[in-house]
Amino acid sequence: MKRGFQAPRLLLGAESLNGLVRASRDRALEVMARYREPESLAVTMSKALDAGAEGVLAGPSPALSAALAELKRPVPIFALLPGIPDFERHELGLGAEDLLERRWRRAALPLRMRLSLESLMRIPPPGHGDFVSRVPVLLELEAAALRVRDLRAVILSAPLTDLALAAGNRRFFQRLTRSMRRRFRAGAGFESRNLGLLLRRLREWEVRPDLVLGPVNPVGLMMKPSPAELLEELRTTEIPVIARELRAGGIVPLADGVRYALEHRAHGVAPDLVDLDDVAAELRRLFATTPA
Amino acid sequence: MDSRRVLPGGTVLNPMTDLAASSARDEASASRAPAPLRPVRAAVAGLDRLGVAHVSVLSAIPDCELVGFCDPRRAARTSLRGIGHLAPGFADLPKLLARTHPDVVIVSSAEAARGPMARLALEAGASVLAERPMARTAEEAAGLADLAAERGLKLAGAHALAFEPVFVRAHAAIAAGAVGAPRHVRSSMFASRVFSAQQSARFDPALVSGGVVSQMASDLLFLLLWSFGQPLQVRATWNRIYGGVEDELHGMMTLASGLEVGFDSSWSVPGYPQPATVVELEGDNGKLLVSNDALELDLVGPRGGWPAGHTRVRDAELPQLARFDLDGESPYLMDAAFLEWATGGSEPPNTGAAALRVQRTVEALYASARQGGATVPVGA
Repeated sequence: MKRGFQAPRLLLGAESLNGLVRASRDRALEVMARYREPESLAVTMSKALDAGAEGVLAGPSPALSAALAELKRPVPIFALLPGIPDFERHELGLGAEDLLERRWRRAALPLRMRLSLESLMRIPPPGHGDFVSRVPVLLELEAAALRVRDLRAVILSAPLTDLALAAGNRRFFQRLTRSMRRRFRAGAGFESRNLGLLLRRLREWEVRPDLVLGPVNPVGLMMKPSPAELLEELRTTEIPVIARELRAGGIVPLADGVRYALEHRAHGVAPDLVDLDDVAAELRRLFATTPA
Repeated sequence: MDSRRVLPGGTVLNPMTDLAASSARDEASASRAPAPLRPVRAAVAGLDRLGVAHVSVLSAIPDCELVGFCDPRRAARTSLRGIGHLAPGFADLPKLLARTHPDVVIVSSAEAARGPMARLALEAGASVLAERPMARTAEEAAGLADLAAERGLKLAGAHALAFEPVFVRAHAAIAAGAVGAPRHVRSSMFASRVFSAQQSARFDPALVSGGVVSQMASDLLFLLLWSFGQPLQVRATWNRIYGGVEDELHGMMTLASGLEVGFDSSWSVPGYPQPATVVELEGDNGKLLVSNDALELDLVGPRGGWPAGHTRVRDAELPQLARFDLDGESPYLMDAAFLEWATGGSEPPNTGAAALRVQRTVEALYASARQGGATVPVGA
């Protein structure tokens, strides 16, 4: 566990800005349209913090960068990296290589020079395929694109977490946890769509990231490998779990989803913009019911 | 007995989720995830995006041992090993087959190599699940189906949409006759993927059989043929906006019953960050609409276990039985269902014969589009 890191109880999720949400198509498009203007997102993030949210959970997106630039106050960011918009996912191979190549090309020259220098010392060259060494480089390129003043945690997003999880790559989780803490001086976390399996493996491997994120809701939607197995892991885990997909694709009221997650030992919750109509009012109500 | 599901906080889920009529097989499959009936040795040929996804999914299926993978590109093999997969990797399929003797091979190589690779695997005694299209031509795919039948092996095409819970439930409703005899069917599949010549260049007409229909919307065609049968004839028009393959295709298919089925597809439409599939059906007992979000029925009278009036079943309300989620439910369910079939279990919907019917329909649509929308019979 990173010294001094406090896992949050309440985050505002903004993954819907990248179109990566489990919601109806109409709702997803509505939210993307609502926050197209940076001022709108900036105001919402500011109100969310005033309402008790401890930060914003988001991957890099032009909308987020523009909104952060609008705000004078620093916004604590729990960065979900890499951010891979849906349109881009289909063009890239699974894994880190294609994405790394693409992000490398668009990175600023000073950053590339610094990372190149480091790579001479310890990072295998492209094509070597070493996930363990190359994912941290990818995360650094992505984090630079975020341009945040207050980076609280770096969380490996589900597409890469779940690839390594399926492969049973213990070394990856061990080393990346250490690497993320060292490189970013922030908390280190993993997002997964297979939360029960991730918690079980982390327990067996004795790997302790600062937080993990995944779906928890009363319907059992996306709770893998099965709702019962995930709940059993939640009961015993010592790793703070931040629950997502609380509304189960929109079929459960947010308050019910939050109550269910907390009753089943989630440490905190991260409702997404797509789950909230009146962000400030709904977060304030949740904050009132979320244990400190 | 009250079948409603009441959640904490008093939320009542749609009671039709559990009451909806299904065939016996659908009922059985709704209660458990498919799984191999005995330990099975599996291999993956081709490590593009889909191949890596298959490797990951196979690794998560109980009683499935990933015994090897192959790809001529060294970088692809080392990348997979770097992710953490320890199974042996080979540059070519013959070596993989000779050294690992898999029971099952998933063929996800480049389209031009799929047919030859599937043939090699079948000749070596392995059952094959091939990405769609299974081969570059329907004729080549038919040869694979014949070979599989001759050897007593299983062959399937990877039409993953047929495993999405909401479309499975829609198929069950249609099969149960909920809307009665169909009068009109319209369908569409749209995505926001190709908006430049550079993106289109990935689909070289010399190497692939087609564009949006062959690469993506054949999944929708699969759903249509699964529920309504193979068309006798088709007519179609297409637009090639960015390159040598079609970016849009509008088709009309005529079945033996005279039923006309409309089919629209495009991967160059803004506003679809995730592919969206819709099927609308009007029958003598009402209407059915199914999309990735939900299944809706408006019935005149109760039929097939569905009540009169409006019923809406959202995808999220349906059982989601995959034990590993990599890009949704369907990749796991499709691979696991194939392994179950290959080890003596029940037949999945995406058999090689069914996938072949889709490929023949695609070829007929393309032939019609090339002829400016002429009516073209679908090959048998």
